[in-house]
Amino acid sequence: MNNPVSVVVNGAKRSIVVGQGITLLDVLRDQLDLTGAKYGCGEGQCGACTVLVEGKAVRSCLAAAESVAGKKVETVEGLEREGRLHPLQAAFLEKSAFQCGYCTPGFLMAAEALLRRVPKPAEAEIRRELNGNICRCGTYPRIVEAVRMAAGVGKR
Amino acid sequence: MDIKTRYKIETMDLEPDRFEIFAPSAHQFEWTRRELLALLGAGVLYVVSAQDADAQQPERIGLRLHVAPTGVVTVLTGKVDIGQGLRTLLTQAAAEELRLTPEKVRVQTCDTAVTPDDGGTWASLTTPQTVPAVRMAAAALREAGFHAESMQRTVAASVTLTAPKDWKVLGTSLPPVSGRDIVTGRQKYGADVRVEGMLHGKVLRAPSHHAALVKADGSAAEKVTGVRVVRNGTLAGVVAGDDRTASEALRLLKAEWKETPLPAQAEVFAHLRKTAEAPVFVRGSRYPAVLEQGSVVEAMKGAVRRHEATYTAEYIAHVALDCRSAIAEWDGDKLTVHCGTQAPQVVRRELAEAFRIPVNNVRLIVSNIGAGFGSRHRGECELEAAALARAVGKPVRLAWSREDEFLAGYFRPAAVVDVKTALDASQRVVGWDFHNYNSGASGLAVPYAIANSYCGFHKSDSPLRQGSYRSLAAVANTFARESHMDEVAHLTGSDPVEYRLRHIEDTRLRHVVEAGARRFGWEKGRRGMGVACTIEKDARLALFAEVEEPIRVRRLLLLFDCGAVLNPDNLRNQLTGALIQGMGGALFESVRHDRRQVLSLRLSRYRLPRMADLPEIEVQLVDRREVAPTGAGEAGITLVAPALANAWFSFKGERRRGLPLFTAGEPKR
Ligand code: FES
Ligand code: FES
Repeated sequence: MNNPVSVVVNGAKRSIVVGQGITLLDVLRDQLDLTGAKYGCGEGQCGACTVLVEGKAVRSCLAAAESVAGKKVETVEGLEREGRLHPLQAAFLEKSAFQCGYCTPGFLMAAEALLRRVPKPAEAEIRRELNGNICRCGTYPRIVEAVRMAAGVGKR
Repeated sequence: MDIKTRYKIETMDLEPDRFEIFAPSAHQFEWTRRELLALLGAGVLYVVSAQDADAQQPERIGLRLHVAPTGVVTVLTGKVDIGQGLRTLLTQAAAEELRLTPEKVRVQTCDTAVTPDDGGTWASLTTPQTVPAVRMAAAALREAGFHAESMQRTVAASVTLTAPKDWKVLGTSLPPVSGRDIVTGRQKYGADVRVEGMLHGKVLRAPSHHAALVKADGSAAEKVTGVRVVRNGTLAGVVAGDDRTASEALRLLKAEWKETPLPAQAEVFAHLRKTAEAPVFVRGSRYPAVLEQGSVVEAMKGAVRRHEATYTAEYIAHVALDCRSAIAEWDGDKLTVHCGTQAPQVVRRELAEAFRIPVNNVRLIVSNIGAGFGSRHRGECELEAAALARAVGKPVRLAWSREDEFLAGYFRPAAVVDVKTALDASQRVVGWDFHNYNSGASGLAVPYAIANSYCGFHKSDSPLRQGSYRSLAAVANTFARESHMDEVAHLTGSDPVEYRLRHIEDTRLRHVVEAGARRFGWEKGRRGMGVACTIEKDARLALFAEVEEPIRVRRLLLLFDCGAVLNPDNLRNQLTGALIQGMGGALFESVRHDRRQVLSLRLSRYRLPRMADLPEIEVQLVDRREVAPTGAGEAGITLVAPALANAWFSFKGERRRGLPLFTAGEPKR
């Protein structure tokens, strides 16, 4: 059965249709037109679909839509506030921590989850946390630098 | 610099309300006015075409620049941004010659209705071809004097390009112009495009790699509400109102296939050898299949010492993170496809041929691609979407899954390379016999001064479907060559850096090897260090690597000289990425298959480089402003495998001649 339930996406209450086989990624991209979260593998391997649910990083390609009923979901589209970039976005931009940019939303959200939990992570912690995200263009070193910059832990 | 070329500049007025008054003035403008207006708004479109002053050469493709009343200039290019920085580089090129700030320049990438055909986005040609073309067109426009109201036709007899020493925008690290769209998630890729009223398609995949569809039974699938089953030639698929219903119906679609077995994975290299043809020299080809100098037969006969070895490389997958997707829409005999491809004109022709319509009836609107690496040179997904859409008479979106990518895309060719060398009494290489089976002719040339050489590429029957890849065969060929040079160096008791230098005459190549060795702290006889160098697509590069137990890459240092550096930060980013991508193919990437089908169908079954694999990476650019720049998106990938294999040999005393160097069972990092 397809049942409408409500979720809070980027601070706004939204009604979504859940049902068998509908993932959170489907909901975001097809129902809410939030295409920032990307599909890369559909099995939790690449992190391109990472969003926050109740502040924690979740692979939206694996999360059943009904699992977010009544919960708070945050996506890359919600990072920018009134035209002001979030510090992670500003840092990614400053370091040009991307090439094609397809992986960027997933990395941003995974990094955001980390920084909420550990505001000043050690470099090894950043690498461990982001090891589940793939950047096929190979911009990893810049991504690490950008996360360090956003966290204010500066250069090595 | 003065170019002895005449430039013809034509203008087309794009005032919406003056539609009728100004009939299309040249054939290029037919059926593009409406689309141009929709895309770019009012203004003037300048078409700048070059004509060689002396020769009776036909006009070269007209470069198109649009000037809006606001003074913003849009460069129209048939190329595509695949993350290589095309938009940024072309912005720099136009801004430099028009004397504008980069904010005043936009780049419109491929939409075949409005952009010219300036070739595929491949082979690192943006820098050596597209950038100069845009610079010349912009310079011609500057000299003719341009404004948004201009209507007269002008001819600039010659143009002066800004001298590299006077560059203000080129040569600087202009940040990626799409950066803000990328970090905000606003940038649209193929899969993000939607079209009013579109349906969703799925295509049935064969159970084995070479299978022909015999019969399809769609009766069960068609019972699902709103589902249409499509059967067209070799294709069987379904179309439904939403993606999930289409998936459900696809599961109910039954088919019979005629299968042809694959050789077992362990037999692939023997198969490539067995089916090989003799190399065929074709005059004027970009990558000649035969390169010959002196007499390698005589050199072998007279050799004081000989060495021979065989090197191999497995099939690997591009795995651009973005999976292919296309939305096809028919209007009578006219077809529009939204897609992400690196080769719009190739795909356009494929579509025209498949559906027997004129090429001009096919419009491709190409989106950003979540990277290409050579994977998007053919129109597999576009053809499928167009077939589905034609059958149901509505726009159809087909988005490939990761599994579709592995099943219906193509791979980097597997390679077998035989190398034989002849040494003279001074231990110098005087004979070089080199044969590549199956993977290709790029990177065949030897950058060393060797009196007698034969390099040949033998076409073979490839068991798996194969195609282009970042730098294509240069990875396998450079791996074989640079491993072999290392072997010979060790065989003769020489230091690998010194031994290479003994054979290098090219001063720029010498420089990157020498400067790299110094910077890296290369020490004779030091354990765990490896080197490789090459001239690839005219760039000179040397890579130094250090490995440690357990199979971990500790650091990489790349010295890179591609002439003038147009955007240092973008170049560093590209090169670092190429090194990291190269680590995958060098260390662990391999497409597994059995006698029926590819088994690596998911990312959990196909390991890619991740953050934990990262070594320390340093990239040093040699900026030669006086030298016309060559492309650089690919070259960086070619040295990783040999540098690591050589470092591994130095570390363990064990020579590994197959890529990937390590198998899944070995310690991973
Ligand atoms: S798409 Fe969800 S992890 Fe890859
Ligand atoms: S920038 Fe292309 S995948 Fe990361």
